[in-house]
Amino acid sequence: LHGKSAICGIGETTYYERGKSPHTEFQLACIAIRKAVADAGLELADVDGFVSYSDSRNGPTRLARALGLRELRWAATTWPGGGNSVAAAVQLADAAVVAGYARHVVVFRALSQGQFGRFGQAGGGAYIGGAFAWNGIYGLLTPAQQCALRTARFMHDHGVSQEALCDIALACYANAQRNPRALRYGKPLTREAYHASRWIVTPYHLYDCCPENDGAAACVVSSAERARDLRARPAAIIACAQGVGPPYGVFRPADLASSHYEQVAQNLWNDAGIRPKDIDVAQFYENFTGAVLIAMCEMGFAPPEGIEEFVGGGALEGPDAALPFNTSGGNIGEAYIHGFEMINESVRQIRGESTCQVRDVEHALVVGGPGYAPGSAILLGASQ
Amino acid sequence: MSRVLGDGWALPGLDAWNRAFFTSGALVLQKCRSCGHVQHPPEEVCEACQGFAFEDFVSAGKGRVESVAVAHHPVHPALKDHTPYAIVLVSVADAPGLLIVGDIVGSPPDTVRIGDKVEVVFEEVSDAKSGETFRIPQWKVVA
Repeated sequence: LHGKSAICGIGETTYYERGKSPHTEFQLACIAIRKAVADAGLELADVDGFVSYSDSRNGPTRLARALGLRELRWAATTWPGGGNSVAAAVQLADAAVVAGYARHVVVFRALSQGQFGRFGQAGGGAYIGGAFAWNGIYGLLTPAQQCALRTARFMHDHGVSQEALCDIALACYANAQRNPRALRYGKPLTREAYHASRWIVTPYHLYDCCPENDGAAACVVSSAERARDLRARPAAIIACAQGVGPPYGVFRPADLASSHYEQVAQNLWNDAGIRPKDIDVAQFYENFTGAVLIAMCEMGFAPPEGIEEFVGGGALEGPDAALPFNTSGGNIGEAYIHGFEMINESVRQIRGESTCQVRDVEHALVVGGPGYAPGSAILLGASQ
Repeated sequence: MSRVLGDGWALPGLDAWNRAFFTSGALVLQKCRSCGHVQHPPEEVCEACQGFAFEDFVSAGKGRVESVAVAHHPVHPALKDHTPYAIVLVSVADAPGLLIVGDIVGSPPDTVRIGDKVEVVFEEVSDAKSGETFRIPQWKVVA
């Protein structure tokens, strides 16, 4: 790895409130892909691979036909799950172009929930069978509830208060106020409004949960050699990692307060040869605020006992923050495109094109979803 | 007893792996016949020795709340009149190392704390449609 590939193009659709997209999900995917390819200075016919994640409904041959590819040489997706594999999807593209299996691989995520219903929607009916019975019979049905149980234990074990969760939400909203693409642009959040909002599932208020949205985002991954000749400044892929250890994601006492990022951190930092202090800007997938606190600790940014101080006092807000965090607004503030908006934001930071631009960005980190396992993360770099 | 999530809430779709847990009226967990390892939820392979043969392990059902989340938002229409409810992860003394998902019955949801001692109770439901009598393990806080 270490810069053998790069993200050389990014694109996204307009982002919409859930169910408000005027386009189908497949059309949204095509719009985002077309923009990413144009951003790279490529033709659609140059693309020869597709990667998505988490049960993508938009298949590679259908896309190849609709977009007029010359040939499709790489079609891959991660196992079903959630946003845990957003960075793993980029890793699959990286693997393909570094190995030479494909030249220009598009990675994307598209969502039209008016067309297909909500992601993570609770099932039900007269009977709940199979693996879902153990939780569903007890009304444990959604990712929010699952992450809430882990967050509650984390807060209990380490004396973390509700204010730390609030600080995550406030940072995302504050950064979204700088970003006209963001769905929460022009809709600032206050600490008072956060605390006054209704409970979804303790310890999550309404504002601890990212809204659901429609839209699509895509990027183009090419070998570093090919990326050098393209239009845009490449964001080098320095390291990618997936990881999880025993008990592999189920509820057990040993990892009850985990976001499944200890092994990801170990793999990523070892591979990259840098440490959290070297990170200039970080995007953390915040489907739910509390799970991010855990992921931040597991990634090595702060010890659990110090996390409240680490995120408090506006420490995550704006381009001059101690740790510039979710600078586009993230899932909560910009749009919930299952974390893919964070990939594109990291590329913007490397290029110097963010609406919340951090000065002299050398290393930009994206940490995937903390709900399911294995988690994944990627590290982008400015130097080639 | 009536169910904490309402008598209209979904019942378990029974199979060989969950029938004893949801119908026996005892807290039945899965024990490996080869190595004695107890695991939950049941799996097709023993995670300790990769054995395929299992027997029932009956827990005394004395446990501790390891985490609790109070669900306020009804995530399914059938739960609309039954929130808030306290979802718990319970460890049991005689099978350490595993957690069992359940709900708290008999206490206001917002009074449940991590560390509370609990014991298993059963919600009995006679289901005319399937002809089954379910005895669904739930948890009661004990002093």
